[in-house]
Amino acid sequence: MEEKDFILQLLNPKTQNNAFQKLLSDYKRPLYNHIRNIVLDHDDANDVLQNTFIKVFQNLNNFKGESKLYSWIYRIATNESITFINKKAKLNGKTSRELQSKIVDNLQADTYFDGNEIQVKLQKAILTLPEKQQLVFKMRYFEEIKYEELSTILGTSVGALKASYHLAVKKIEIFMNKD
Amino acid sequence: MNEFKIDNKNKITSGFIAPEGFFDNFTIPLNREINQQNTIVKVISINSKRWITSVAAVLIVALSITIYSKMAVIHLEDNTIENYLTSQSEISQFDLINLLDKKDIEDLSLELNLYNTKIDEDFTNGIEIENYLTEIN
Repeated sequence: MEEKDFILQLLNPKTQNNAFQKLLSDYKRPLYNHIRNIVLDHDDANDVLQNTFIKVFQNLNNFKGESKLYSWIYRIATNESITFINKKAKLNGKTSRELQSKIVDNLQADTYFDGNEIQVKLQKAILTLPEKQQLVFKMRYFEEIKYEELSTILGTSVGALKASYHLAVKKIEIFMNKD
Repeated sequence: MNEFKIDNKNKITSGFIAPEGFFDNFTIPLNREINQQNTIVKVISINSKRWITSVAAVLIVALSITIYSKMAVIHLEDNTIENYLTSQSEISQFDLINLLDKKDIEDLSLELNLYNTKIDEDFTNGIEIENYLTEIN
């Protein structure tokens, strides 16, 4: 089915329910991974994922089809994740970086983390990057999202994203090669 | 030990996993929440209860005037409002972006008064330029 037809189904009250169930089934796994990569904790990812789908549902009528549905949904998920981290950090009297460092330090005790020392070290390396570079690196490296799609989701030019990813990789390699 | 290179190494996964059955059960509370939001609220006709409404309105106005006249005017600092929005409200950046139109953005840029000279000055004063590279389109 073409995206245009699917969007029409989402907007039509008679077909909306079935179309939204299809959207849920198509997006729940990739969006969970996307959100989890940003918020790091499973329970937080669950909350943000729920909020994201609710926001998508509430704003379906505002979706004007100027961008792809995929980019629009990812943009909502990214914004929800960042807002969530900032809010949680503020409630805990910490900066978002401090909050994330704490989660990464305890990663190996996390039931829903199945990684080794290299994976923990990579997460620590990512945390040393500026916030936007972290996002670009995670979305490009872990999720393998194309630069063109990243550009629509993050509202940044392809050139700037490539530069950002290149810088992120350099810094991560330096960090990973430290003893 | 070999030097670590992102592109040379086998792909490192994030290591994050979801609990078993999470995705099967995930949609149940979500659909419940969405259905609740879709529930049509029955509206009681104002005409049939006109006299109750009138009495209630008079009482509310009378009470409001009394309370309002006794209340000290509270001045909220911008910071207080910002803290409230961050910690208490459900308003996200996405909601705020949706509320801005072209005129709001123009007004904001005028209000922020960001002239090129100021930006040049900031960059020459040692701000980490690479942090801003991704923002430049």
